[in-house]
Amino acid sequence: MWQESKPYWLVLPAVIVIMILFFGGLIEGVAQSVGYFPAAGQFNFSTNAYHKLLISKDFWLALWLTLRISFLSTLLAGILGLGISLFFLRNERRKSRLRLWLQGLCNLPLVIPHFVGAYIMMLLLMQSGYVSRLCYYLGLIQQPEVFPVLTNDPTGWGVILTYTWKEAPFIALMVYPVLRKVYSDWQEVAKVFGAKPWQFFIEVSMPMLFPAWSSSCFIVFSFTFSAFEVPYLMGITYPKMLPVLSYSLYTNGGWNRMPEAMAINVLLTIITAFLGILAYKLNRRWGTPGRRS
Amino acid sequence: MLLIILSIFLVLTGCSQVQKRSDSSAVPTNLLKADWNEVLTQAKGQTVNMYMWGGSESINRYMDEWIAPRLKKDYGVTLNRVPVNDINDVINKLLAEKQVNKTDGSVDLIWINGENFKNAKEHQLLWGSFDKQLPNFNQYIDANTPDIKDDFGLPTEGYEAPWGKAQFVFIYDSNKIKIPPTSMLQLANWVKQNPGKFTYPAPPDFTGSAFVRHALYETTGGYQQYMKPLDSKTLTPQLTPVWDYLKSIKPFLWREGSTYPESLAKLDQLYANGEVWMTMGYDPARASNEIKKGTFPVSTRTFVLEKGTLANTHYLSIPFNSTHRAGAMVAINFMLSPEAQIAKFDPVNWGEDMSLDLKKMSPEDQKRISGIDRGIATLSVGELASHRLPELPSEYVDFLDTGWLDYVARK
Repeated sequence: MWQESKPYWLVLPAVIVIMILFFGGLIEGVAQSVGYFPAAGQFNFSTNAYHKLLISKDFWLALWLTLRISFLSTLLAGILGLGISLFFLRNERRKSRLRLWLQGLCNLPLVIPHFVGAYIMMLLLMQSGYVSRLCYYLGLIQQPEVFPVLTNDPTGWGVILTYTWKEAPFIALMVYPVLRKVYSDWQEVAKVFGAKPWQFFIEVSMPMLFPAWSSSCFIVFSFTFSAFEVPYLMGITYPKMLPVLSYSLYTNGGWNRMPEAMAINVLLTIITAFLGILAYKLNRRWGTPGRRS
Repeated sequence: MLLIILSIFLVLTGCSQVQKRSDSSAVPTNLLKADWNEVLTQAKGQTVNMYMWGGSESINRYMDEWIAPRLKKDYGVTLNRVPVNDINDVINKLLAEKQVNKTDGSVDLIWINGENFKNAKEHQLLWGSFDKQLPNFNQYIDANTPDIKDDFGLPTEGYEAPWGKAQFVFIYDSNKIKIPPTSMLQLANWVKQNPGKFTYPAPPDFTGSAFVRHALYETTGGYQQYMKPLDSKTLTPQLTPVWDYLKSIKPFLWREGSTYPESLAKLDQLYANGEVWMTMGYDPARASNEIKKGTFPVSTRTFVLEKGTLANTHYLSIPFNSTHRAGAMVAINFMLSPEAQIAKFDPVNWGEDMSLDLKKMSPEDQKRISGIDRGIATLSVGELASHRLPELPSEYVDFLDTGWLDYVARK
């Protein structure tokens, strides 16, 4: 009995802490979003905040922008991350110094905090940034002003590029072990049955990779969907991405707009949870060949 | 494993220390009435957590290298500076702490003014009326001048003690702009002739919001009309000229006004890179400081508008649940001493205007003050003083910030 339940008892303290902090915060947020805010002297329950949000153009524009930017960031990071793991898989046997160096370089974004990453991208990609100046000195562009607008741009390229650069190694890290195992276990078998390398990749590797890849993509998506610092630094004044909109409502719209800010957070949570369920279902459907249990 | 045990130990001992400290400050004396010597005794050995805006290197250096060591040596009070981007975040933190009845807060001292003070005071997030307790406040500060008695139109009533005075200045590169504009109208013309070379931080950034107020004063005929409680019905039509003004320059701003820098730090960076030719800010000595640090070009200068620029006082206050109130009082009192204020006035340290009344200071101190060189880009004390405008009541600031989003940013 004890042997069986031991692991659960061991993780219990951590689970309790997470429950209190996570669900406590969530409940508090929900309470504030429906107008229960004792410290500010608000006690009347109402769905006003949600109503106000759902009829405002700001919210819908922000939601659309946030969805688009997180989708593009995730897609690019997903493709790049897969590419990186394939690249390292191909060069696995080669123990050259260059490979080790490259691997180190790829791991670098993992240890850099997001706002530092955003700031680095900013310094590099501003119109008066390092890349622009380098292009100018090399004579590729006539004036620094000709350099394309990549930071604080309406399309959100700055945010997308930062996330792509920052999250691709994470996806590679999640996918690479699976990829390696697939190749070491199944490649020979596939060869025996006459599969060409690309057939092997499409028909054997991909389905087995899919669960790891899609769940890491989902993690990236839900992160980019609700993270604040990168869009705050790299985004534009209007429309704002949802987390930034929530922050600005919370901190600067006066105390009476705080419920709206909390309502945004609650909606963000709901949307993320919904997408999580979707990703899970997709995994079960497409990922079955890769499942061992 | 050893590391884990060690870190658990550290956490535990840390906790017990906190326990001890809160015990000692729970002595049932009323600090708001206590004798100053008793405050000094109680303060000894306390660590004061001071939450303040951390965006200026020279200010941070003044706090860490000038204030902190002297406070430690002379009063046995340790100053722990906690930098924040916006003091509003701290007010929210205090609000949350009040909500859960947290009586031993981690914030002992905050640098505050304007809207944040209003929010904090109205929601009882501040400790109490403490400034008459401070010897230096009583001796050197003229508590009856309007710019000290009221903070953005709200009476301070001793809930905060004046630390310094700031005035808005525009900062420009004299190599690129030979004759700087002296009115908002001239500024608009200049912006139109030099497309892409000007922008301002997006309100509610403190500086960006002040820029909008300058536009308001000059396009609607002065500040006097706004010195009364806000009435949004009559105010909305009154504000049309300022939105028109800001919209008229919008297409000629940096990035054609499609976006604005989110903070003053970003605008400064654009200026330092030469992407825009002007920046601005509430610190008249900042340009000189930045030149000295090498971030701004040496040709950087500052100017004020002919009709004046906004000036305000900023304050130090103690939250309702501070654990080290005596220490905080001693720290504030020290920061209001002539020596600390003169050092702050010196651009070597910070270069900011004093909150003390010059007439109340000793002749030697006055002499020292007049001997300080405030740097090449800093305007003279007289020039600044003769171009000073008062702030609006803070509810107007809020109203304008929201209005800016509706009428300017979104259009």
